[in-house]
Amino acid sequence: MKFALEFDHVTKEYRSFFGRRFRALDGFSLQVYPTEIFGFLGPNGAGKTTAIHLAMGFMRPTSGSGRLLGEPFGHAITRRRVGFLPENLGLYPRPAEQLIRFYGALNGMKSSDLKSRAGEVLEMVGLEDHARRNVSRFSRGMQQRVGLAQALVSDPELLILDEPTSALDPVARVGVRELLMRARTQGKTIFLSSHLLSEIELLCDRVAVLHRGRLVRLGRTDELLESYERTEIAARGISPNGISKAIVPDRSSWNFDPDGMVRIAVPRDQQRATISRIWEAGGEVISVLPQRRSLEEIFLEVTSGADSAASGGIQ
Amino acid sequence: MKPILVIAINFVREQRWPILVMLLYVLLLAFLGLTTGAARQRDDLLFVFKQVAVYVVAFSVFFGSAAIFNDRRSRRILSVLSKSIGRQDYLSGLILGITLASAIYSIALGVTGTWTLGEAGFPVRQVWFLMICLLAACMLCGSVALMFSTFLNPFLAAGATAALMVLPFVVSRISGNEMWMWVIPVDYFAAALEKSSFAVPDTGSWKAIFLALGETMVFWFLAAKIFSYMDIAVSVE
Repeated sequence: MKFALEFDHVTKEYRSFFGRRFRALDGFSLQVYPTEIFGFLGPNGAGKTTAIHLAMGFMRPTSGSGRLLGEPFGHAITRRRVGFLPENLGLYPRPAEQLIRFYGALNGMKSSDLKSRAGEVLEMVGLEDHARRNVSRFSRGMQQRVGLAQALVSDPELLILDEPTSALDPVARVGVRELLMRARTQGKTIFLSSHLLSEIELLCDRVAVLHRGRLVRLGRTDELLESYERTEIAARGISPNGISKAIVPDRSSWNFDPDGMVRIAVPRDQQRATISRIWEAGGEVISVLPQRRSLEEIFLEVTSGADSAASGGIQ
Repeated sequence: MKPILVIAINFVREQRWPILVMLLYVLLLAFLGLTTGAARQRDDLLFVFKQVAVYVVAFSVFFGSAAIFNDRRSRRILSVLSKSIGRQDYLSGLILGITLASAIYSIALGVTGTWTLGEAGFPVRQVWFLMICLLAACMLCGSVALMFSTFLNPFLAAGATAALMVLPFVVSRISGNEMWMWVIPVDYFAAALEKSSFAVPDTGSWKAIFLALGETMVFWFLAAKIFSYMDIAVSVE
């Protein structure tokens, strides 16, 4: 299958002036399918931007390889089919419409097409009334929308967006979300790196979590959320000692209410066994409530889990 | 070809203030010609003309050494190189931009020289020949500075360019062999400009101009090769 974006055991090391090495990506492999919205997550310093810059050909991997729309990273002609919005975008100070035409011209678009296309993309990002204003006088959120417009100008097949909504207000954020949804229905692939996990949860078909240059989770967003679903079981008539010995040894998974009720949080697949153990210990089950966890909670668990595994030498 | 032209025009647009400042020097020359009486003060006028001409070579070094750095520092380079242009096209655009900026200055200086020096008896044809020499020197200096700036910071790149340009002159002085001036013909152009006078106006050679153009291509090629191996974005994480 031809992937929209593919990393194959990519390692990237930075070297300081004195030869000290820092490994930003470590044997990173990932495939992004055409027409999906892919969420790329990771804490600061995880290597997300490095991976994106490698894909765009701004830098070369230390080892490994990758393909963008079927061509090796750095293939200039292929980039015509890619729209890219960098994090902390820098724009030349000039009217928004002129700037969009400049970026379109860099992609080899004809001047006659560019005039109408610049207006279209500015309208898409809600800046049609500001087309003649100099972008240097725009707010950061407006500049980010100009950045999105320049990424869309040549109607790309693949959009690579690095923190596209970080500077946007909630209204503009909803606008961008709708824009991306529309883009997907038009058959575009979207590779989205963001810290706004609620956005990722709402938008993305699949997500990958990167931590310290390594892929620590990859899967469909709904499956990932489901796999981390937990159940809260409220029970009575068991002592703390009895719980830790016979039911759930992990102390962080349960707590006692002042009225003597114990609340135990367990993964969904352990729900039945836990209830049985409560009964066997002579307890009474009061309620069983499914708890849906957010991507943010899962993200924190995954990254802190990877941290503790790394510090324990498990990795 | 269009993206190269777009980058070049964009470069000139971004450098419009330095170019305007440079043009003020040309205006100064025109003012001198107008107020002093060109025929009476013609040697002084030629001296100022030569001095003003040399400034643009220095400017082309600064343009070349800072072009990539400015785009990197402002992160504008990311959105430019994310389009379907290769790094060699980007460098071509910058060299063309430096040439255009130098050409604006050279043409303005040529027009002013035609008016002031021509009136004082200096051959107009030679004024324009010197302007072509000047433009060739700017292209060569700009491409060398750009090559150094692919791996050095702007100050070091400017210093390295100046050192490389002066080196053949120093060697020719030490060895006593003027042929060394032809190695990098910027020194040759400087000498041609310096020697040009009302008594002996015809200095310089087309061969040196073609040599400079050829060397510009060589340094562009070297710059493209080096730049293709460089990481564009510094680590932000």
